[in-house]
Order: sequence, then structure tokens, then C-alpha cells
Amino acid sequence: MPTTLEPVEVMDPDLDEASAVDRPWVVLVWNDPVNLMSYVTFVFQKLFGYSLEKATELMLDVHNKGRAVVASCGREEAEMHVFRLHEHSLWATMEHDGPTS
Amino acid sequence: MARRRKFVPPVEAVDGGWRITLDVEERDLLIRLMGELEALLTGPEDNELLLRLFPKAYLDDEEKEAEYQRLMREELVASRLAAIESVKITLDPARTELLDEGETIAFMQSTNAIRLVLGSMLGITDDESADEVDASDTPEHHLYDFLSWILEWTVRSLSPS
Repeated sequence: MPTTLEPVEVMDPDLDEASAVDRPWVVLVWNDPVNLMSYVTFVFQKLFGYSLEKATELMLDVHNKGRAVVASCGREEAEMHVFRLHEHSLWATMEHDGPTS
Repeated sequence: MARRRKFVPPVEAVDGGWRITLDVEERDLLIRLMGELEALLTGPEDNELLLRLFPKAYLDDEEKEAEYQRLMREELVASRLAAIESVKITLDPARTELLDEGETIAFMQSTNAIRLVLGSMLGITDDESADEVDASDTPEHHLYDFLSWILEWTVRSLSPS
């Protein structure tokens, strides 16, 4: 085990705060019986730049599990994603990430 | 008609853009439906048929939800109306130019919005009732299928090959 490295694993409080502010929201898409599977997959690719494989996986999660997290980000960005998903008539919501949600 | 539908997609990607191959009657029907959607969007906000088009953003926070709707609802209405305007222009039988990507996406979004409203009218609330719709045989169900067929091909035409 190397001993030359100093144990400087102290959390920078500013960074900690920044990450708590930047990434505490998740964007969810809920299953609905009207939107076509191919359409949902396409919208995920278009809005989030996901590969066909990743978008299909998320779409199947929505379909089989009732919902899927499609993005994790700050509140403002999450609201923008929700808006764009609503523009495409997907049933999207956002909530705080974490044990309380 | 059936034969044509089987072999010519209603929307297809071609060199330099997208092309809608629907005939005049089909275009007229879609333009009329777009007008009905427009009337719905500019009518009373509490119309139940609009619920699917304006979902909640926050399920667990009424205050944030109210704020979100106050800020974004109008923008979403404007976005939907702009898409409908674009579709009316692109569906004009006299139009000969190809569609660009934005117009094709507006067409996709608006066609899907009409499907959602129709889905609400037909009482499609879960996967089971969606299956029942597949097996039903009324003019509304045929219309729903027609829109699904157009949407499916539009998505396909836009998807990276």
C-alpha cells in the first residue's frame, strides 16, 4: 500500500453544496396507454441524445415498471426537460432525488 | 386505398427533406382535426380532454406545481398552437415543397396530440382498454388507428437509420 499519498479526502464544503444544488432532481416519465412505444423511444433519443439501445431500454422500463427516470439534474434543467416532454405529450414529472421522495 | 397504404408510407424521408403522401381527403380530415385541436387549446382550461396535453410537473408539491403551471402553461399552449399552424401549412394540398425536419416534428407532435385527445374520448385509461380499442370497430376507433398509422410512419421517417 502506498504511503506517500496524504489523506486529503476532506470534502470541500462549497463543492458539496454545489452538487446538492445541481443534481437533486430526477425527471420521470410515466406509463400511459396511448403513446406509441416507437414514439416514446424516438422522443427519448431526440430530447436526451440517448442511443437507440438506451432509449429503448428506458421506454421498456416505463412500459413494464410504470415509470422510469430519464434524467437527473438541477431543478431548472429538470423543468426544461419536463416542458419539452410535455410538448411531446409524454407524461413527465419531476421530483427530488433521494430517500424522502 | 388499402393497397396504397400497404405500400406507400404516409410520410417518408426523401432526398432533401420529408414528404407527406396523403391524398386530398386525408389532408382535409387532418386539417379539420388540427382546427378542432386549436379550438380545444384556446377554449376553457378546465376541459377534461386537455388533461393529457397538460400533465402535472410536480406530483408531490402543490405550490411548485402551481408556480410551474403559472409560468409554463401559456408557453405550452403557444408551442402547441405554433405546431398546429405549421401543420396546416404543410398539409395544404397546393404545397409542393418538401417538409424540413422542424415541420415534420411539428406534424408528429400535433398528430400525437390529437391521438391523445381521441384516446381520452374513447376512454383509453390503461393498457387493457387500449387493447379493447384495438378490437373495436367504430368510426372513432378507425380514426384513432389511422392517426396511429400516420404517427408510426412519421416516427420511422425521422428515426436515424
